[in-house]
Order: sequence, then structure tokens, then C-alpha cells
Amino acid sequence: MWITEYRDLISILAISDLRVKYQSSVLGFAWSLVNPLLMMLVLYIVFSNVFHMSENQYALYILIGIVSWRFLQNGSSAAMTSIVGKPGLVTKVYIPRQVLVLSSVLSGFVSSLLEFLVLICLLIAFSVPISFVVLLFPFVHLLFLFLLYGLSLSLASLYVYYRDLNQIWEVLLQAGFFLCPIVYPLSTIPEQYLPYYMLNPITDFIAIYRDIFLYGKLPSPVTIAIVVVSGIILYLIGRFLFGKLERRFAEEV
Amino acid sequence: MEEIARDTIDEGDAIIVEHLSKRYRIPHERKQTIFEHLFSLFKGGAYSYEEFCALNDVSFRVRHGETYGIIGPNGSGKSTLLKILAGVLYADGGVKIVQGRIAPFIELGVGFQPDLTAKENIYLYGAIMGLKKREIRERYDEIIEFAELKRFENMRLKNFSSGMVVRLAFSTAIQTDPDILLVDEVLSVGDESFQQKCNQKIGELRSKGKTIIFVSHSLETVHTLCSRCLLLDKGQVIQIGPTPDVVHTYLSLIGSKGASS
Repeated sequence: MWITEYRDLISILAISDLRVKYQSSVLGFAWSLVNPLLMMLVLYIVFSNVFHMSENQYALYILIGIVSWRFLQNGSSAAMTSIVGKPGLVTKVYIPRQVLVLSSVLSGFVSSLLEFLVLICLLIAFSVPISFVVLLFPFVHLLFLFLLYGLSLSLASLYVYYRDLNQIWEVLLQAGFFLCPIVYPLSTIPEQYLPYYMLNPITDFIAIYRDIFLYGKLPSPVTIAIVVVSGIILYLIGRFLFGKLERRFAEEV
Repeated sequence: MEEIARDTIDEGDAIIVEHLSKRYRIPHERKQTIFEHLFSLFKGGAYSYEEFCALNDVSFRVRHGETYGIIGPNGSGKSTLLKILAGVLYADGGVKIVQGRIAPFIELGVGFQPDLTAKENIYLYGAIMGLKKREIRERYDEIIEFAELKRFENMRLKNFSSGMVVRLAFSTAIQTDPDILLVDEVLSVGDESFQQKCNQKIGELRSKGKTIIFVSHSLETVHTLCSRCLLLDKGQVIQIGPTPDVVHTYLSLIGSKGASS
């Protein structure tokens, strides 16, 4: 299989990606960690008065939402351009093109892990009791990675043919940010819509992260099931699209 | 792609190509965005394109250990053929069988990152060319020695001169140890002394029994390197045979074209 055969290339590409990313700005690395914190602060100041939150850890509640969301946002945006952004690797040498998407998603994964590390430090600083369910985090985050990879396969291959997809995706992400319970509590959603609302896998991921980090309880099996099933569906769609569109990549890039 | 009869596959062949064809689509109107596609839907225009036949029913075989030249005028389909062999492009019809590890030298230094150091780039490029991390580690010293860049190994690539970049790329690429090399006139790089080292290295590979597919405009190089040649024109095979004969045909082909125009 290509993943095992090309695992060295995948990891080297992902690491090079991270190196370039963090070298290019002076504060590079630090900035990428401070960014979600600043965003949390802004949203906290704006929305804490709007919602009269009953959440006593509202700031951390927001931060978990932001950090989860950023994995989707940064990961998918970077992965979308992973084929078009490296034309030489498509037209001049042969490597399975999935390698480019996967390595890009993986570098986003590492960035995201670092952000979660900051989150955990803050949880400790705010003396939130850490329960053993935190141990579930690696598995949940790997599920998220899988879902993001499936989604990115579609985005990256479509972007080769439709170069305005990034603009459209940006708008969709913007809308998605408010369609997910990042700044507002789930209780603001009218009860009759809640089952549909929870079909959004990102909403479920955020709910799971809050369960394991903030509330110290096991995530519900239903949310886990939705996350797994939607991951598989997105992967199958992505694989199909990518396989179809890949044949003319070298001519279109 | 259709199957090839099992009994016609010879173990001594490095490359078997049969009835290969490739058509490019040249759209009348280049549409690259969703917006443009939607717009043309409303206008009612169908997706229309012309087909350009880059390769038409190309068949040939290359033996292991052979240095094989592919020549032809501009636009004859040489590069397309090489890219199909490399696996970069997909053929529309015909069969391609490659027996052995293949390394395309279509362009040197593919994937180099100017913001990374020479050392990091060797690892990156080596992996792109199909080496494992362990293999790169083992050959690292040899690569940096051959490129004569030991002093600069921790310098970022963007501060390198173009000659240094090429040396680094060639030294890395040559270490990939493929069975079959696809070379698209990339070897005419660097200064005289490095050029000599390159030629020496190519000679070494040939004597080691590597297969080399060589695409070139330089008839002189083809003459000295290749025993057999394939002449392409407008996507069709004109002649396959010993280099002097094929070169002769090629020259008369160009001559007749020059006369007619």
C-alpha cells in the first residue's frame, strides 16, 4: 500500500512543511499558539454579555471550540492547495498524489496537537479537574484527522479544476464557524432542531472535546457513532473523487 | 489499458510499450472556476474542446542495460512519452510495462524548498526521488562530497547560486540507484568540470548495467551515448534502429521539412 511504501516521504514532507511555516514569521511558532488565545479573548469579551452564559468556565468553553475549529479550518485550507501548490511534484516526478494531501493534513495535525497542549496547560492553570477520560483524546483526534483527510481529498482534487473553490470554501468556513457551537451554548438551539443540528460531525467533535476536557465525562456513543460514520462517508467520497480527477492532474496543474 | 499477452513479456526487457496513445484536450474556452462553469451553463454553451493527438500507436521495447535514445523535432511527443513512462501522465490507450525501479530525471531539484538548508533539502529531495530516510542517511556524506558543498550544508538554499543548486540536485538524484533512468536533457548543467563529473557518473551507471532512456536534441550526445534510437514525429514512430541510421533519417526529415516550408 502507498502509505507504508511512502511513509518516509510523507513524514519528511510534513516536517518540511512545518519548518517552512514556522520559519517564515519572526515569532512563527509562538504566534500560532497565541493566535487562538487572542481570538478566545475577543470572543469572550463580545459574547459573554450576549449570552449571559451559565457556563462557569465560559472562556475555556470557547477556547476548546476555537482550537477544534482551527484544526478543520487550517488543515482543510492548506490541504486544498497541496496539489496545486507543488506542481513540480505532480508533473515532474511520480509519487502517489495522495501523499501530498496526507502530508499536508498531517502537518496541520501536529500544529493542532500543539494548540491542544496549550489548552491543557490552561486547563491546569485554571485548576479544572482533569479526569482519566482525557486519555481518549488521541483516539478522538485521530478520528478527526481521518475525517479531515477524507474531506481534503475532495477539496484538493476539485481545486485543481476549480480555482475559485478556495474563495467559496472560505465563506463556507465562515458560516460554519457560527453554525457550530463555538461561542454559544448548545442550549440556545431549539429542541426540535437539535437532532439535525447534531448531525454536523464538527459539532460532535467539539462536544466530545468539551466532554473529555471540561466536564470530565465520557462522550455519548451516539456522537462517537456520528463522527465515525461521517468520517467514513467523507473518506469514500474523497477517494472516489480523487481517483476520478487524478488522471488529468498533470495536465491541469 | 488493455492487457498484454503474458508469453510476450520478456524478462530481459526493461520497458515494454505497445500501441500507446495519448490525446490532450484543448478546450475552446479555458474555464478554470466554478463561476465560469456556471456562467457558461446559463449561456447554454456545451463543454467543447479539440483533441490533440500527442502520441499515436507507439510501440517499442528497451532491453535491460541499454542506453536508448528518443529523438524527434519539437512537439513530436518525446516529453509526453517520457512522462507516461514516468507515470506522471496517464495514457489513453495501449500498454506500458516497466520492469524495475524507475527514476525520472525530467527536471532536477523538484520540490526543493528555498527556505530550508541544503541538508534538509537533500533529505526532502532524496525522499521525493524514492529513497528511504535510512538510505539518505547512509549516502549523505557521499552526496554532499560529490556536490562539493560540504561547507554550505547548513546554509539555506535561497542563498545558493543556481549552479550550486543544480549540483546539489544532481548529486542527490544520482544516488537514488534506479534500474531505469529517464533523462530529459537535464544533464547539460553546471560548469565544465561538473559536467565532466556528470558524464563520468553516467558512464559508471551504464557500465553497471543500468538502463537509460535519453531524450535529447543534441545529436552529438545521442551519438556517443545511445546504441539504439527511436525517432518520433507528430506522435508517431518513424523509425527504430541503430543510432547512425536513425539520426540519418532524422536529418533528412528535418531537411525535407525545411525545404517544404
